[in-house]
Parts: sequence; C-alpha cells; structure tokens
Amino acid sequence: MHGSGAEISREIFWNIVGPGFPTEQVLLYVLVAAAFLLFFHGLARSGFFTRMKAITSAKGSDVERVNNAWDRFWYMAVDVFGHRKILREPYQGVFHLFIFWGFVALVITTAIVFFQADVIWPIWHVWFMEGNFYLGLSLFADVFGLVAIVGILMAMARRYFIKPKWLDEKGEDKLILWFILAILVTGFVVEALRIQATETDPSSPMNPYIWFSPVGRTVAFLFSGMSVEALRDTHVVLWWTHVLGALGFIVFIAYSKLLHIVMTPVNIFLRPDTPQPPIRVMPPEMFENAETFGIHNLEEYSWKDLFDTEACMRCGRCVEVCPAFNTDKPLMPRDVIQDIRTYMENKAKFALDANGTYHIIPDEEYTGPALIGDSIEKDTIWACTTCMACVEACPAYILQFPKLIDLRRYMVMMESDFPAEVMDVFKGMENNSNPWSIGAHTRADWAKGLDVPLLSEKGEAEYLFYVGCAGAFDDLNKKVAVSLVKIFKAAGLDFAILGTEEGCCGDSAKKIGNEYVYQALAMANIETFKAYNVSKIITMCPHGYTVLKHDYKELGGSFQVFHYTEILDKLIKQGKITLKQPIENLGAITYHDSCYLGRYNKIYDEPRDILKALNSGSLVEMKSKRAKSFCCGAGGGRMWMEEDLGTRINQKRTQEAEASGAKTICTACPFCYTMLSDGIKELELSEKLQAFDIAQLVAKAAGLDEKTNKAGGENEQEAAN
Amino acid sequence: MNTVVCVKQVPDTETLIKVQGAGIATEGIKWVMNPYDEFAVEEALQQKEKMKAGAVSIVSLGPARAIEAIRTGLAMGADTAVHINDAAYYDKADPYATAAALAAAVKGLQYDAIFLGKQAIDDDAAQVPAMLAEMLGIPVVTMVIKFEVAADKSKATVTREIEGGQAVVEVPLPAVFSAQKGLNEPRYASLPGIMKAKKKPVDVKTAADLGVSEGPKTVVKEMTLPPARQAGKVIAGDDAAAKAKELARILHEEVKIV
Repeated sequence: MHGSGAEISREIFWNIVGPGFPTEQVLLYVLVAAAFLLFFHGLARSGFFTRMKAITSAKGSDVERVNNAWDRFWYMAVDVFGHRKILREPYQGVFHLFIFWGFVALVITTAIVFFQADVIWPIWHVWFMEGNFYLGLSLFADVFGLVAIVGILMAMARRYFIKPKWLDEKGEDKLILWFILAILVTGFVVEALRIQATETDPSSPMNPYIWFSPVGRTVAFLFSGMSVEALRDTHVVLWWTHVLGALGFIVFIAYSKLLHIVMTPVNIFLRPDTPQPPIRVMPPEMFENAETFGIHNLEEYSWKDLFDTEACMRCGRCVEVCPAFNTDKPLMPRDVIQDIRTYMENKAKFALDANGTYHIIPDEEYTGPALIGDSIEKDTIWACTTCMACVEACPAYILQFPKLIDLRRYMVMMESDFPAEVMDVFKGMENNSNPWSIGAHTRADWAKGLDVPLLSEKGEAEYLFYVGCAGAFDDLNKKVAVSLVKIFKAAGLDFAILGTEEGCCGDSAKKIGNEYVYQALAMANIETFKAYNVSKIITMCPHGYTVLKHDYKELGGSFQVFHYTEILDKLIKQGKITLKQPIENLGAITYHDSCYLGRYNKIYDEPRDILKALNSGSLVEMKSKRAKSFCCGAGGGRMWMEEDLGTRINQKRTQEAEASGAKTICTACPFCYTMLSDGIKELELSEKLQAFDIAQLVAKAAGLDEKTNKAGGENEQEAAN
Repeated sequence: MNTVVCVKQVPDTETLIKVQGAGIATEGIKWVMNPYDEFAVEEALQQKEKMKAGAVSIVSLGPARAIEAIRTGLAMGADTAVHINDAAYYDKADPYATAAALAAAVKGLQYDAIFLGKQAIDDDAAQVPAMLAEMLGIPVVTMVIKFEVAADKSKATVTREIEGGQAVVEVPLPAVFSAQKGLNEPRYASLPGIMKAKKKPVDVKTAADLGVSEGPKTVVKEMTLPPARQAGKVIAGDDAAAKAKELARILHEEVKIV
C-alpha cells in the first residue's frame, strides 16, 4: 500500500491496512499513545514517584555525581553498549549481550520503519526502504532477532536448569523471559506468514532475495501448505498479537525489574569517580557539633544511596561473590539494597501527608519499622568483610557495603551496640594504639638487634617504613617485618621506622564503624608524619596502605604511599635485590590477592612478578583470583570478631588454595597471612600446604634469612618463649 | 535510686612501669579508669535505668589527670562528679587516707548505695571499700557479682563470690558494695555520651576544702618490679634419652625442683 513502486522492498502494513482511510494505522497510533500513558500510570501505581519523593528528601552528604559530564556520558555509553562490566561473568554476560543487542537492533529497525511509513512517506513521498538498504535492514533485523531468542533461551536454561543458588526467584522473573520470547517468536511468525504469502512465488520481484530474511524464510516452510487466505487470516491475528505484546512490554517495564533498562544507565552515569568506593566523609568538626552519627533513618542516606535501589534489578552478581553469603551467613548484598527499597516504600506510608508531601518524621514520633534491626538484621550488618567484591561485581555501579558501614557507625557510636569481643579492640586502640591491646611501649621490640634506623635518631629518610600493628605486635607477622627490613637494608634503601612513635592506622576502627576512634588514631599519625616531614611511606599491610593513601587525605594528610610489593618489585627489576638462592620445597605457589591490595588498589601484577622472579616453584592460580579474589575473612574488622554464623571464610579460601594444586600459599597482607595460616591448621592440611608472606620468600631467596632459614621458620624469639 | 561510685585512675595494665624512689615514674604512662571501678559504674547506671529514677555521682581522689577517669564515668552515663583534686594529699595517701577523703566527699551527697571496684589494680590494697563503710557507719558487702534492690530501696539482695562458690547476702541500705568481675559487662561510652560528659558538672575540691586532715597510717618504703623473665633454654643432646637426662639434671641441680 506504500505505492512507491519499489520492487526490492515490502509493503509495510501488508494485510493490515486496506485501501481508503487507514483506520488500522490510526488505531495503532492510539494504542502506542495508550501504551506510553499506561507506562507512566504504571510508574505511579508501582510506587516509583513515591520512592522518588523519598529519594529527593534524603539529606546525606555525597561525592560529586555530575562533574565531567561528557566523560561520564562516554563511560556510560561504553558500559551499556559494550557490556564492559556485564561480560565479567561470561555466561550471564553473553546472554544479556544477546538480548540487549537484539532489543537494540529491533528498536532501531522499528524506528526506521516508523519514520519511513509514518513520517517520510506521508510528508515527502520518499521511499528509502528499498534495494540494498532494505535487504541489509531485513538481514540485520532477522539476525539480531535470532540472537535475542538465543539469549532468552540461554537465560531460561539458567533459570530452569542451572539454577544458581544466588539467583532471585520472583514471579516476574520467569514471566519476563516468556514474555520476550513470545514477542520475538510472534514477530518471526508474522514475518514468515507474509513471506510465504508474498515472496515464495517465483514471479515475485522479492523471490530472488528471499533469503535476506533467513529466519523468516526458514519459518515460512512451516506454512508452505497453507492457502493465501489462511495465511492472511492467521497473519492479521498474529500481527495484532505481536503489536499488543510489544506495547504491553512497554507498560510492563514500569511494573518490573525491566525498569533497569532506563535506571541502570542513569546510575552508571552517576557512578562515583573516586579511586575507592566512597564511604561517607565525616568532617572532624562534626564530632564537636553534630547530634547524631552514622545512619539509622532512611533519609540520612544521600539521594544517590537511595537512587541505587532503583538501579538494582536483582541480578545477584553481588551475592554470587559475597564471602559472607558463600559461607552461609545472613548477608546478601542484593537483599540489602532491595530491603532498603522496600523500606522506602513502607516508610512512605508514614512520611506522606494527605497532599502527598514527604515529611521526615522525628524519631520520637515515628512508630513504623526501624531501618536497623527490622529492615536490615544486625547480624547482616556485622557479617560484611568490606571485601568490595559486591561493588566490583555490580554492573549497575551500586555501592552495597558502604551503606552497611553507615549503619555500623550508628550502632557503634550512638548505641555502643557491637559484638562484645570488639570492646577490647576499641580499648586497645584507644589506650595502646593497637587492636591487640599490647603495651604501646613494645611497638618497636620486633626490631631489637636488627639495627633498624629510627626516624627520631636519623632525622630524615627517603622512605618511612610504616610497619603497622600486625608487623609490630603479632608474632607471625613480626617475621614479615623482619624480612622486609633485611631486604630494604640489603638493597640500600634509605628508610627509617617510627618505632614507638608509630600508631595504629585505624582501618579496623573505621570499618567497624568507630569513625571517632579512627580519626583520633589517624590524626595522631598524620601529626607525627608531618613533624618528620615524611613524604614517602612504605606500608606492610594493605589496610594501612589504603587508609594512609586515600582516607588520610580527608584529614589533611597527603603522602605518597607504597605497598611493600610495589617497592620489592621495583628493587628486583632494578637489580638492587638479587634472588640468587632458589627456595626448596615450595612446590607450586599460589598467590592470594588481598582485597585491600587488589580490588581496592588494583595491585595484582607486582606480587605475581615478584613470585615469578623467585625462580622457585611454578605459579598456579586459584579459582577466584585478581579482581574476583575471595576474601580471607578478616576485612571490615571481622579479624577481631567471632565467626559463629555459617562456616569459616578462611577455611573456604584455604580449600580453594588446596584445590589449585598449590603446596604454598603466598600472601602480601598480614590479615590474610594469619587467616590462611589458621585455615591450614584448622583443616589439618599442614602436610600438604604452607603459607608464607611474599617478603619472607624474597628474603630467603636473597640469602638474607640465615636466622629464619630453617624449614619451620622458627626464629629465636619463638625459641625464647 | 541515688548512687555514688568511687573511682580511681590507674596505669593501663599494659603500660610500661618504672620504679622511681618508693613509687613509679608517671611519665609516659597511659592512665585509665581502674577496671573493677568500671563494673561499679556500670552497676550504678543499670540500677538507675532499672528504677527509672535517681542520679549517679562519681567521686575520685587524684591529681589533675584523674579528671579523665571521671569523664570516662560521666561519658558512660553518670550525672555529676566530685574531684578531690589534691596531688599533695594523693601522693602520700594510703588506703586509710584515701577512704577518709572519699568519706568526707560522700557525706555531702545523697545515696542509697555506694559502689567501688573490689580493689585498684595498681596498689592492690583492696581496703578502701571496707574503710569507707566504717567511716560512714554503714554496712559493706565485698566481691559482689549480682546486685538486686528491693522496690522500696530499703534493702539489697546481693550475690558474693566466695572461695569455690557463691553466697547470697541481704543488707539494709544505704551500704557500700565492692564490685567483682562478673557483676556486669561495662558499656562502651557512646559518642553523644562523650560529648555530654564534657559539659557535666564536676565539683572540684581539695582535702582541706573537705576538712580532711588525717594523714596516712602507712608509708611505702620501697617498691620493686618482679624479676625479668629469663630467656628460654633449648636443651641440647644427641637423642631423646640424652636430652631427657640433661633435663633431669637441670631440674635437679639448677632449678632444684626434683
């Protein structure tokens, strides 16, 4: 009916719009308009605008969200169209890519058809959908339609047969897949009926090009026995079914997780561009004049924290990688986000007045469920190791664990509500500046007899070696500190330590939620660093590395901070350390990525390069490695808490190491070293597995370890005990 | 219920102690509230919370630095405090002089019960609770691990730790109670508690203000640290039998225990 006369093309409303007034075409316009209206109606009915009121009422501080808009836009475009983060998981990534590109291609095709039939032709009488362009478009739509079907079938296979235990199961989850499949299949059947009726006849000008619709052509074989009338009758019914399905899909977006099609790209645009997942800044002056600390009311979150819950479509990648979930603890990062969303809807019932205005209700008047305890269980809040696996995995750039730290802050600083065993940790940090509560005057005892330069005696040094509490007080990790100073001295590094002037870095206090104690510790260190004009710092512990490098900036302490693996890697590559003695009995070595070194600071290669340079034993990888590494269980202050729910995280990781075929686990973090050493003992694997810190092996290979060269690594101090 | 809690500021248990004269060098010491006094503060607060009435007053004898221990108690939730800030008196004070100063300060306060730690972990004298009770002319119950008070505040039923067991004691109020570990779990001061503590009233007095003139009855003449721990010894020998023989010789001849 287009009347263009083009032969290599097709009639757009074939069999739908007859001669004369195009009633059906007008009806279609009405239906499309209705679908869009129903979409917005659906948003209202599903509580979207109510949630937006809560989101815009949120008062919490946040980081920059719209700076460098152009960069943000490109980042978003690459992420959305290139699936940068989604493809991190190959199976889910590929089927989403298939569905996504099928969807995009079919939307593009539909838009072109719309412009041709409803804009260009009626106004200018130009028909561009012909010839090679038409054939190309036809092929394009057919191929991507098929790709989308393959994607949907893969998704169905996962939901019905693979059934990962972290996958959410709501009613809409299966419905969505069948819905999309039905739209795609009816689309191909409608096409096939048209092809059977109009192109299979050899006299048709389109007949030589019939395979430019490969799927439609193939399906058409099913209808080869049907009469033209039957084809036309079936076509009309299915065409309207397909159209109503597609329009229904638009409406359904408003009611379901499909809204992520809109919200997730927006959230990617708004992602934090800080080097670390931002934990809400508490300016020091706040402790003088604020009345409440941390978060226990929904509206104390930032608008972006709450907006995150809109972008979450429950994919569960954060659950899949969560060490707490994987050891049967009551924490699923996705559910934390979803619980906040549900809480937002529930709280709106109290917060909205008759005019639909959102009011923040004072604590004493509020009678609804509490955010802490009712919406999010306390055990959930304490289960998190802040390993960052959730944030790393989330394709929507949602910040899951920082929301829990806000809740911990309220519990700790306002309510003194924390696991009982943490009391001694806080007191130790307050009184002796270390979580072990060992006398602060013994902080430098590990260095006795090693002739380690003290900054107070030396005056200045290129590098401050910030040992940290583990290296200074924990017997296992003192050996690592000893190895490091031997290496530094042998390499001629100009360094010094602070000795008893050093204080706890405060990371555990911060992540447990005691920002007050953290800042007191941090400020004491910053003052000491500044008094000695320190500019470059080497840390032994990735936790100290992270707070010194990033978080101290908030308190006015800007230093160049290195983890020791960065320094050792450089010294080895520069030839300043010669690894002349291959170490015996290491067997295959596997490297356990510390969360705070890896995910937090992207240091993955340096430790591996050092291990390769040892020329002792081959390097094998565990199932979870690099950005997907599995936590040892000690982060987020969990080092200091009993692990009495579920199974033990350190044991799971140790088992992964055993499964890798390694005989030696190497760490570059004192917490990981402790946790994995304990894992080996607890699982009685000492015959098959041993743990070392990388620094110990470097010292051995460099021949600097005469005192600790014995197989068991016993040093004199232990003998003295 | 109104309560008074007497607290002492002592060196942190992990701090390095150096003997100086007949006392210790105070330089570089990290000072904390006596841990047993924390149980006393906690119990007073719990009683106040349970009865939903009354006030908790902290009383402490010590030099200017003792205000930190007082503020710790106030941060935990105590309402007011008396600081007998008198370094000269404190330096010479023995348990008797301490009890005399505390008694004088307590006399000006309203109380149904007085709580103290069972002993201070620095001088370990454990005399003050009993002496204080005697000077105030009221009963004392020591080593308390459970405390319950009658609704009319006329008497308390308390559980004491005794050798190998427990005893339940009934005592009329007011009375003095000394807290033993196990009585409760002392709370961690909340941040608003710490902030509020800075503004709570502390009545600063000297011994002379309180009219206390009695001096100490005892004088410390000398203080010594325990001998430093000897390094361990690895017993050498060709085989297990030789090592065992050498071990037996050392235990017999050097250590003289077999």
